[in-house]
Amino acid sequence: MGERGRGCCPPMDLMRSEPMQLLQLIIPVESAHLAVSYIGDLGLIQFKDLNAEKSPFQRTYAIQIKRCGEMARKLRFFRDQMSKVGLTPTARSATQAITSLDDLEVKLGDLEAELVEINANGEKLQRSYNELAEYKLVLQKAGEFFNSALSSAEAHHREYASNQGGESLETPLLSEQETFADPSKQVKLGFITGLVPRDKSMAFERILFRATRGNVFLKQATVDEPVIDPVSGEKVEKNVFVVFFSGERAKNKILKICEAFGANRYAFTEDLSKQSQMITEVSGRLSELQTTIDAGLVHRGNLLQAIGEQFEQWNLLVRKEKAIYHTLNMLSIDVTKKCLVAEGWSPVFATKEIQDALHRATLDSNSQVDSIFQVLHTREMPPTYFRTNKFTSAFQEIVDAYGVAKYQEANPGVFTIVTFPFLFAVMFGDWGHGICLLLATLYFIIREKKLSSQKLGDIMEMTFGGRYVIMLMALFSIYTGLIYNEFFSVPFELFAPSAYVCRDPACRDATTVGLIKARDTYPFGVDPAWHGTRSELPFLNSLKMKMSILLGVAQMNLGIILSYFNAQFFKNSLNTWFQFIPQMIFLNSLFGYLSVLIIIKWCTGSKADLYHVMIYMFLSPTDELGENELFPGQKTIQIVLLLLALVSVPWMLLPKPFLLKMQHDRHHGESYAPLPDAEESLQSEANHDSHGHEEFEFSEIFVHQLIHTIEFVLGAVSNTASYLRLWALSLAHSELSSVFYEKVLLLAWGYNNIIILIVGIIIFICATVGVLLVMETLSAFLHALRLHWVEFQNKFYEGDGYKFYPFSFALLDYEEE
Amino acid sequence: MGFFVTTLIFLVVGIIASLCARICCNRGPSANLLHLTLIITATVCCWMMWAIVYLSQMKPLIVPILNESE
Repeated sequence: MGERGRGCCPPMDLMRSEPMQLLQLIIPVESAHLAVSYIGDLGLIQFKDLNAEKSPFQRTYAIQIKRCGEMARKLRFFRDQMSKVGLTPTARSATQAITSLDDLEVKLGDLEAELVEINANGEKLQRSYNELAEYKLVLQKAGEFFNSALSSAEAHHREYASNQGGESLETPLLSEQETFADPSKQVKLGFITGLVPRDKSMAFERILFRATRGNVFLKQATVDEPVIDPVSGEKVEKNVFVVFFSGERAKNKILKICEAFGANRYAFTEDLSKQSQMITEVSGRLSELQTTIDAGLVHRGNLLQAIGEQFEQWNLLVRKEKAIYHTLNMLSIDVTKKCLVAEGWSPVFATKEIQDALHRATLDSNSQVDSIFQVLHTREMPPTYFRTNKFTSAFQEIVDAYGVAKYQEANPGVFTIVTFPFLFAVMFGDWGHGICLLLATLYFIIREKKLSSQKLGDIMEMTFGGRYVIMLMALFSIYTGLIYNEFFSVPFELFAPSAYVCRDPACRDATTVGLIKARDTYPFGVDPAWHGTRSELPFLNSLKMKMSILLGVAQMNLGIILSYFNAQFFKNSLNTWFQFIPQMIFLNSLFGYLSVLIIIKWCTGSKADLYHVMIYMFLSPTDELGENELFPGQKTIQIVLLLLALVSVPWMLLPKPFLLKMQHDRHHGESYAPLPDAEESLQSEANHDSHGHEEFEFSEIFVHQLIHTIEFVLGAVSNTASYLRLWALSLAHSELSSVFYEKVLLLAWGYNNIIILIVGIIIFICATVGVLLVMETLSAFLHALRLHWVEFQNKFYEGDGYKFYPFSFALLDYEEE
Repeated sequence: MGFFVTTLIFLVVGIIASLCARICCNRGPSANLLHLTLIITATVCCWMMWAIVYLSQMKPLIVPILNESE
C-alpha cells in the first residue's frame, strides 16, 4: 500500500484504522482443522475466499458441511420438542467433556430415533384412549336411551293393554313390545350407535332422512363436555346418536353417511347385563391406558431433560464445526493435496498471536511440518479495523452507519464521542429532563452484566446498546439545562441574584418599558428574570440563533482541520495547498467574520444590524457603514475579506486538476516501472493490469473538482443555516415544557382540589415522559446525527471503506440469533 | 465573577480532569492522547456555550418586560 507516514502528530487510539496486513498461511492438511479452530478463538483474521468461483457442492469439505447441517436440523427438532413440553435448555455447564463430531453425530441420531419412536407410540396410545372414551360415552348415553325407551314402552304396553280399543292416534308407532313379544313376526330392526359432531348433527339428521326416505328413526343425546376426537386430536362438541333402520340397503347408506360426516360408530349390545359389563371393562381399560400414557410422558420428559442439559454445548459445537468447515472451504488446496493455502487480512499487532496459535495447532495435531506464515504486499485496500471497547463501540457504530472509514483516514468517531451528546444537549437543554434521562440510563448501566446475557426486544436492545451514548447525552443535558436555566421549564436563581431590577421602587414601568440591568451579569447561564416576560422570546431567539451559528462555524472548521490532518498523513501536499487553505479562507472570511461580528456586537453593545452588514458587504461593499460600524476600519477589512473569498474559489477549482495531470504525465513518462514485489497475492495477479495503468481522464478529474468546489461554496451557506436547527429544536423543547408546566400543573394547582391535582400530576407526568422524554429525545438525537453525518463529515470524510469482519467464534452468537 | 475569571476556572477544571484521567486510566500513550483529546473537546464545548450565553447578556439591547398579570 505504499508508505504511510505518521504525519505531524503522535498516534492516537481510534483516530485511524489499525495497520492491516495481508497474510498468506500454508497449513498442512492434518493440522488445518485445529489451526482454523484456534484462529477462530483468536478472532483476528478475515479470510479471503480463494475458491469463489466454485459452487458450494464442488468445495472440498461439502460433505462435512452437510453432516453439520443434518446435526443442526436434529438439534432444532430437539429444541422444538423441548419447547412443546415447556423445557428450556439450561445454561452451558463446562462439566461434561466435549465429544468429537463423529460421536456427537451418532448420539444425535440415536436420540432422534428414540424421540420419534416415543412420540409415535404416545400418539397411538392417545388415540386408543380417545376412542375408548368415546365408546364409554356411547355406552352410557345409548344405554340411557334404551332403558328409557324400554320403560316407556312397558308403560305404553300397559296402557294399550288397558285401552283395549282399536287403532287410535296414540298407538305407538314403534311396536317394540311386539318385537319383544314376537321376535319371529316383525321385521328385525337394526341400529347403529355412535358420535357425531354437534355442528353437523342437523345436517346429518336431514341427510339420513332424505337418503332413506324417512324410513329411519334417529335419536340424539347431547354430551355435556367436549370430547377429544381420536382422529383430529381436538376437543369437539358431540352428540351421541342411535339410528334404527330396516334392511341391508338402508344399512349401507347409513354407514356411508356416517363416514362422510366423520361420525364414529361403536358397537352396542341390547342386552342389559352385557351393557354394564362392557362399561366396567371399558373403564378398566381406560385407566390402564391412562397410566401407560403417563408413564410414556414421564419417560419422554426425562429424555428431554437429559438432552436439555447438554443442548447448549452440542449446539455450540455444531455451529463451531460448521463455521470451521466453511472457512476451510475458503482455503485453496495445493496440487499435492498435502497442504492448504489461506489468505486473509489481519492487524499487524496480532502477528505474534497468530504465529503462536499456528504453532500450537502443529503441536496438538502431531504434525511433522510447521505452518508457514508470510506477509504479502498488495495494492488492494485493506479493511478498516478500530479497536473499540464497550464505551466507544456505540459511537463508532453511529459513524459506521453512515459509511465505514476508508483505510486509515481520520475517524470522525473520536470527536463524535463528545460533540454528538453536546449538540443533542443544546437542543434538549433542561436539567430536570436530563436528570430523568440519567436515572433511566443508569439503571441500564448498573444492570449491564445481567441484561447483556438476556434476550431483549428490538427497541430495548437498541436502547441498551446505546446506554453510554444516552448517559453522556443526559450529563450534557444537565449542563445545558443549567445554562438555559430550565428545570421542567422553571428557572432558579442558583448562582447569584438576578441582574435585572425594577427602574423605580414601585415597579411602575415594569410592564411597559421593562426592568433595568443594575447588578453584575448573571454569572452562569440565562438570567432567571427573563422567564415568562413579554420580551423573553426575542431575547432567547437572538441568543440561540447566534449560538447556533457560532457552534456551527466551530464544528465546520474542525472538519476542515481534520481534512488537513488527512492530507498530512497521506502526504498529499496538493490537497493541503489547493484544497485545505482555500477552503479555510473561504469559510472563515465569510462565516468566521460573521462570528467575529457577533462577538464584537455582544461585547460592545452596539446596535448594528448584522443582517444588513453581511448583505451589503456583498451588494455594495464600498458604501459607508454609518450606524452599522462595529469597529474602525471595518469597511476596508470587509473589502479585503470579500476579495479573499472571491480569490479562493478559483484557487479551489483550477490548480489541482492541472497539477494532477502534470504529475501523471511525469510518472507515465518514466521508462522504468517499479518491479512487482516477489510475493503477490494469488488473486491479484488477475487484476494486476488494472492497477498498473490507472486511467487518467482529465475531463473527469476536472468535473470532479468542479463539483467539489460548487458543493463546498454553496454548502458553506446552506450548512451554516442548517445549524439553526439547534435553535429551532431548543425553542420547541422549552415551549412544550413550559406549556405542560403552566397549562397542566399550575392549572391543576389553582383549583385547590386534591383530586384535580392528582389528575393534573398524572397528566403532567405522562405528557412529560411521552412527549418530552421519548419524542423529543428521539428528535434531538436524529437532528444531532444529521448535523454530524452531513454538515461535519462532508468537510473531510470519504467513508468508502469496508469493515474488518474476522472469523471469530464469539461473533457466531450474533450471527445466528 | 467576571468573564476572565470564569474562563480561568474552566481551564483549571479541564486540567484537573485530564490529570485525573491520566491517573485513573493510564493505558499507554495513544490511549492517553485519546482521553486528553476528549477532555479538551468537552471543556472547549462547555466553555463556548457558557461564554456565548454570558457575552450576550453583558450589554443587553433589550430588557425583560413583565407581563400585565404579574
